[in-house]
Amino acid sequence: MNKTDPIEARERFESDVLSVMGRPGFRYFAALGFCAFLVTLGFGLWGWQIFRGVGVAGISHPVGWGVYITNFVFWVGIAHSGTLISAVLFLFRAKFRTSFNRAAEAMTVFALMVAGLFPLIHLGRVWIFYYLLPYPNQRLLWPNFRSPLIWDVFAVTTYMIVSLVFFYVGMIPDLAVARRRLKGFASRIFAILSLGWNGSLGQWRHYNKLYIFLAAFATPLVASVHSIVSWDFAVSIVPGWHTTIFAPYFVAGAILSGTAMVITLVWPMQRILKLENYITTDHFEAIAKILLLTSLIVSYSYIVETGFAFYGEHPFEAEQFRYRSFGDYAVLYWVMIFCNSLLPLTLFVRRLRRSLPYLFVLSLLVNVGMWIERFVIIVNSLARDYDPYAWGTYTPSPVEIGITLMSFGLFFLLYLIFLKVLPILSITELKEHHG
Amino acid sequence: METIRLRTSHLWFLLVIVAITMAIMEYGGPQEEKGTFLLTIVFWAGILQGAIAVVAVTDLIEARWIDALREKLLSLYPLLYFLLILFLIFIPRAGVFPWTAHPGAWLNETFFIIRNILLLLAACLAARFFARAALRRDSGTKRWAVIYLFIFVASQSLVAFDWVMSLEYPWISTLFGAFFFVEALYGGLAMAGILFFSEPRPDASFPVKAAPRDIGLLLFGFSVLWGGLFFAQFLLIWYGHLPEEISFISERINSPLYRALGYAFLAFNFFIPFLVMISRKAKGQAGVVAAVSGVILTGIFIERIFYIGPALSLNEGAAFFQTVLMFTAVLAFVNNRNEFLSRLAGKDAA
Repeated sequence: MNKTDPIEARERFESDVLSVMGRPGFRYFAALGFCAFLVTLGFGLWGWQIFRGVGVAGISHPVGWGVYITNFVFWVGIAHSGTLISAVLFLFRAKFRTSFNRAAEAMTVFALMVAGLFPLIHLGRVWIFYYLLPYPNQRLLWPNFRSPLIWDVFAVTTYMIVSLVFFYVGMIPDLAVARRRLKGFASRIFAILSLGWNGSLGQWRHYNKLYIFLAAFATPLVASVHSIVSWDFAVSIVPGWHTTIFAPYFVAGAILSGTAMVITLVWPMQRILKLENYITTDHFEAIAKILLLTSLIVSYSYIVETGFAFYGEHPFEAEQFRYRSFGDYAVLYWVMIFCNSLLPLTLFVRRLRRSLPYLFVLSLLVNVGMWIERFVIIVNSLARDYDPYAWGTYTPSPVEIGITLMSFGLFFLLYLIFLKVLPILSITELKEHHG
Repeated sequence: METIRLRTSHLWFLLVIVAITMAIMEYGGPQEEKGTFLLTIVFWAGILQGAIAVVAVTDLIEARWIDALREKLLSLYPLLYFLLILFLIFIPRAGVFPWTAHPGAWLNETFFIIRNILLLLAACLAARFFARAALRRDSGTKRWAVIYLFIFVASQSLVAFDWVMSLEYPWISTLFGAFFFVEALYGGLAMAGILFFSEPRPDASFPVKAAPRDIGLLLFGFSVLWGGLFFAQFLLIWYGHLPEEISFISERINSPLYRALGYAFLAFNFFIPFLVMISRKAKGQAGVVAAVSGVILTGIFIERIFYIGPALSLNEGAAFFQTVLMFTAVLAFVNNRNEFLSRLAGKDAA
């Protein structure tokens, strides 16, 4: 970044970041329209499913969890790196987080919104979803607290609330900047949203205390949420699911897919919005290193899981892993290994780590790999359980595929709206680190 | 207080005496307790490899606080060779593993010995090259740090799966390996806390106050991580309630002694570091950080007893004496590090 007069630099940070919120062009509306189409299609299909019943989906005996639960786990995973980048890197005093934190936090909130839909979509009678909540009632209908699905409700809801608060609190000083610099109706909206922020010393003192507290509070949540999601599977005694390494393995996998999604979102954003001065190759390289580390942890888990399936006398585990590698879904398994374990190894080469187009393609493939990983874990174990009489295969129906596309449409739709209504970089932290 | 100064040759002589003493203790006396020596090498493999791994991780992420401790922690690298020697002494005891009666493709004595020797040797060599690069601050530091960490993870996983878990064959827990290498890092960090207190002068021109605070913060973080991993492992075994899995836990918690040890290591590895290190004031005091570090090392040691004791009987006196010998060796190497470290750093520089 060029060394200029600090006041001038601060002015430039504010105008550069807020200029992104200007009037959108045709391409923006075209992208928005396409995403809106996918969302409409998906919600239409969901309506059809509610009208006709879950029979229109491909899930049936013995594979009762199909792409809906795959999507749920995938989107919760995507939601992870927002807090990782923002809170964990804040605690570790890693300055490169400034370039990504706002985008990643927004991604967390939107991914959680999308993830939260899938347990509802998966339900047969969605209108009584509130049975999951332990609300006081006269019928003594209490949820089963021993069920990890209930733990999920608590974990995901807590994570959602904390992520929203963290996202909002971190944005308050920037909202005040938007209030000051924008005109008319937008200024009035930001005046309400910035909660009377005037940048006094007292406000900064409270702000800094709250921010570090929220960062410290959110960090264990990153681990707990995906651990609990992993226990949805692991507390059962299904071969391929019941294994103690699942919690850290799922957390690492979530961060792997989350960092990949950050690259997928931020590189086009950097190019289209011309933010090269703020989001640099060094920053991408730092994210790529996190991606590499988490890929190594995931690969370690693959090796340990597979190795122990053939250790001792566990014929069902051994059969499950043989089936994963050479059974009906073997192609998906090997694509997963390629995308999640082998391809990221190329990031040991510095030149590739610093090549942004390469990183972008790799991030897309890692996300494909991580989606497939969840599918492989869920479907294979249900398709090939203990009793050969209950074996079967599963193919997603067009309704499930349409709803899956909807989830991507909804996520990108929310992200596109975010780009135009909120400051996409933390102006405050840019001033602090570069100003 | 005047410290006794030893030359490098004296240090190696000291290690020879320690090795012979341990061998005599293991093979010279009555042969009833067969787990003590294994307990010692399992515990010290974690702490010694973990201490070097702490430097490797911090160098990799360019953490500056390690400047105050780099030389002290790296001075433990020669003890990794000693660990290899201790493993060689242990080899005649390999028959204590239940699977030796029915060897398989992975668990058979020859392969067990070869893979463990190779990994321990690889750890020694990688630690040496890493220590040399780190002391010289040359461009290869990060590369050697990565190589060392790969070997560290593999080696600690093997310690967990081969040396400890296979004592209860066919019991398995896939998290055991990851739990061990995280615990080794935790132990290495605790060792850093103690070494900082033992000689609180920084090696480089570095603000002294920063180090205990950073060590304290990391100990706090690791206590949470340890608690999380412990819970993740325990919950699934308890919830699954499968006879082949639960036997490992029930055998231990149904014995009053091991139940008490279980509570003790839970307190020492999680509750005490968590509650003490949450205080900002406590983290800033080298004495408090060192005391908590001592508690953590004790906790890890008790945990190793918890794993090994019910499978192989232990001799409390021998375990205590071997620990004292190893700790003496650690302090001797740390306090007399200048000669061998400067030789290591300057060997190829000339």
